[in-house]
Amino acid sequence: MNASNHKNITTAVALGMLMLFPACDGMFEGVYDDVEGGSDPTNKTAEIQTRGTLTIDATAYTEWHYINFHSGEITTSTISLTDSTESGKPAEWDVALHRYDVKSNNGVAIETEYTTIDELLAEGLPTDDEWTADTFADNKITIDMSHMMEGYLVYLPDYYNPILSKWVDVNTSTMPPIYTMNQKVFVVRLSDDTHLALRLINFMNDKSVKGNMNFEYYYPLPF
Amino acid sequence: MKNILLFLLNLLVAVQTIAQQTRQISGVVRSADGQALVGATISYDGGGTTTDVNGRYQLSLPQNVEKIKYSSVGFKTQEVELTNQTKYDITLREESQDLEQVVVTATRTPKALKDVPVLTRLITQDDIAKVDATNVQDLLQQELPGLEFSYSMNQQTSLNMSGFGGNSVLFLVDGERMAGETLDNIDYSRLNMTGVGRIEIVKGAASTLYGSNAVGGVINLISAESDRNWALNVNSRYGKHDEWRNGLSLTLGRNKFSSRTDVQHTSIGEVKLSDNEESSLQRIYANHTWNVKEKLTFRPTSDLKLTARAGFFFRERNSAQTSHDRYRDYSAGLRGLWTISTDADLELAYSFDQYDKSDYSTVSHKDVRDYSNVQHIVRSVFNHRYGKNTLTIGADYMRDYLLSYQFASGDSTHKQHTTDAFAQFDYLPTDRINLLAGIRYDHFSAADQNSLTGKLSAMYKWDKTSLRLGYAGGFRAPTLKEMYMSFDMASIFMIYGNENLNSERSHNFSLTAEHNNRTTHATHNLTATGYMNFVSNRITTAWNTELMGMAYVNMSRLRVSGFDACYMMKMTNGLGVRLSYAFVHEHIEKGEPETSSTRPHTLVARIDYDRQPTTKYGFCVTLGGRFLSPVMVDEYTSVSDYTTTASAEYPGYTIWKLTLSQRIMNWLKINFAADNIFNYQPDVYYSNSPSTSGTTCSFGVSIDVDRIFDK
Repeated sequence: MNASNHKNITTAVALGMLMLFPACDGMFEGVYDDVEGGSDPTNKTAEIQTRGTLTIDATAYTEWHYINFHSGEITTSTISLTDSTESGKPAEWDVALHRYDVKSNNGVAIETEYTTIDELLAEGLPTDDEWTADTFADNKITIDMSHMMEGYLVYLPDYYNPILSKWVDVNTSTMPPIYTMNQKVFVVRLSDDTHLALRLINFMNDKSVKGNMNFEYYYPLPF
Repeated sequence: MKNILLFLLNLLVAVQTIAQQTRQISGVVRSADGQALVGATISYDGGGTTTDVNGRYQLSLPQNVEKIKYSSVGFKTQEVELTNQTKYDITLREESQDLEQVVVTATRTPKALKDVPVLTRLITQDDIAKVDATNVQDLLQQELPGLEFSYSMNQQTSLNMSGFGGNSVLFLVDGERMAGETLDNIDYSRLNMTGVGRIEIVKGAASTLYGSNAVGGVINLISAESDRNWALNVNSRYGKHDEWRNGLSLTLGRNKFSSRTDVQHTSIGEVKLSDNEESSLQRIYANHTWNVKEKLTFRPTSDLKLTARAGFFFRERNSAQTSHDRYRDYSAGLRGLWTISTDADLELAYSFDQYDKSDYSTVSHKDVRDYSNVQHIVRSVFNHRYGKNTLTIGADYMRDYLLSYQFASGDSTHKQHTTDAFAQFDYLPTDRINLLAGIRYDHFSAADQNSLTGKLSAMYKWDKTSLRLGYAGGFRAPTLKEMYMSFDMASIFMIYGNENLNSERSHNFSLTAEHNNRTTHATHNLTATGYMNFVSNRITTAWNTELMGMAYVNMSRLRVSGFDACYMMKMTNGLGVRLSYAFVHEHIEKGEPETSSTRPHTLVARIDYDRQPTTKYGFCVTLGGRFLSPVMVDEYTSVSDYTTTASAEYPGYTIWKLTLSQRIMNWLKINFAADNIFNYQPDVYYSNSPSTSGTTCSFGVSIDVDRIFDK
């Protein structure tokens, strides 16, 4: 091999190295979507229109999120792990969320066969469905998961609505559990006889963090 | 007019006469060690013959034939250009069990398999084809005993190789390590079998040559090199559960410049396993992968070989109703091999590998990355031969960058620099004795830790038998994940990293006996290895009462011993048998619970029958199976308290696969495979149960387009 060949080859290798030497911390970042900077909003107050979507950060096991569809106010209460007391519960509210649990304020609920709110608006309320009220349970609202491996969980004795809480089914017979969303339209008859429609869009945020409840609503329904 | 017709008729007769003029050739076909090969095929386009019991043949062939082919089952086909001579004595090289096959993994220098002082298990391209494997997981579990792929949490694949987990077995592609891991295992689906020429497996520690992670073994996938000017293969396979595998390989050039491109797409629908509520595994997620590899080779002079490569990998699995897990890998590399003189060569290489994980929301269609491991590696190896002896010295540098959702928010990235230097001397004082000694020093910047490892091997050869005795040191430095993790595990507990972790260390002692025998009709190879590993500082997680969570810690010492045996037989009539057995035992202190889930006994078997009845049709029937013994495990009943255990038994199982591969016209291959032919289905699916839904069938076609145009 002569000196000129050597030089050419060295230059080619050096150029190749430079072209192939990508950024130290990686490349093609643009392939991904950026969700930093508040694209996962936790709505603490909402401008409740007749129709809209809400995203509630219900990831914490020790919080209830109370939504007042009359005023648009969203209030978060905290549950104490030491004595299971709840602080910050508002006086006026319509429905509340805790993880995938839902309760109503003296309301009753049905699950319709409709998969869109438009279908519900076109067809009207089902007439033969039985409306279900909230149930009190001391083994439903999990507030502490940290003893799971020891074989028990800590619950908050509280009400929940068995129909509305069907919007996410968690099958814990396998690890990890299988989560199945129910994307039918649910209707709640509130204590003042007005009707609220709810339909779950997603129970995770864009980072796949579960408990971020994104849903569609319509209030008040025109019937 | 009549004259013209007569002239044309005469011309036709003359042409036919020339074409029909024949010549006689004869000779003997032998194997590399001089044994006559019975039934070897000598063929040309239009005819052929076979050798007699003495390996002799005689063949009449048209005068215009320019090339003939010599083939025999288990041997590499050889093409010979005819000259004026009439006698052609041919020596064929074995295709599989080839003791002359050059391997590189055990010493980082090319050596014939039979001459390597550290036992190397070789899986050839022929073996890969017989098993009809898609990726390294499919292949290894059918070919190697003592190895089990199971599921860890959330259907992430987890390897156990003779008592060592996935992070203690180093996987290499052409000698380059791979970025990224999930629950301590690399993404095995990246290692598809397209373009793989052979796989070399060295069990036991090998950190003196390969550094961190080479504790339980090294598995090196070596790319195939084409011997044709151009080659194009397209292939497709379809099976139960809507499983597809489609591939394309294109090779261009072979002398100064060559290019190889491989593209593969695989997909499978959801596999429903069980409705049994006791099963921890009820269905397997649907998934699909893309794997694209490009390799350019440039030989500017006879003593310089430059290689550039680039790769892209994508995998998506439908792990939840509204979210899919996505995995991507971008890789690239440059390598120069300079033959300085007949006694010296130098290799310089740069390698880039980036492994990303992201979550794709099927609702918002956003694809959000939460993990990225980026490795830049520069390697150098210099070999100098002094007669039969070789001195190898080398040095490497790696920059390791990790972005992870498992780090605390605001502290989501970490990096470290690793540098090392090593030396090895391969000494052959006589033809029968081979001594190998090596030493290596590594430095890891994140923990500011050093590691010194050594190895010493000796081999003694008789005519057909050899003995290998060796010590090898292994280590695994704590990873960035293990040092800096701060992860909330579904609100159940936290997992904390530990910056004060020590490197895992292993001292591996092994003794291997190997016997080879060739008769007129068959070759036999028997190897038996006994080994003992002294392992200290193994890194695991344990409950930390101070932190009230799980934390990474170093375990107390443990010993893993075992015995491997392998028998291979290949007959000239096309029958092949391979039986491999492995026994593993993890020693525990008296009174301590047996928490290891390593199955003590495993056996893999393969019987194949390969025939080429005519030059245009051949077939191979392969029956392969594996048997894994049951295992009893003491499992702690609590994560935070290690006083109570409950005993669990995981049942043993056996799974067999039957493959019929037919070769037609030298360019078409049709495969039919039935897996799990005895329809084994566990009553309850545990994470270490085989993820089979019972018997499955697949049908595949592979076309070598370039061979259609072969004369």
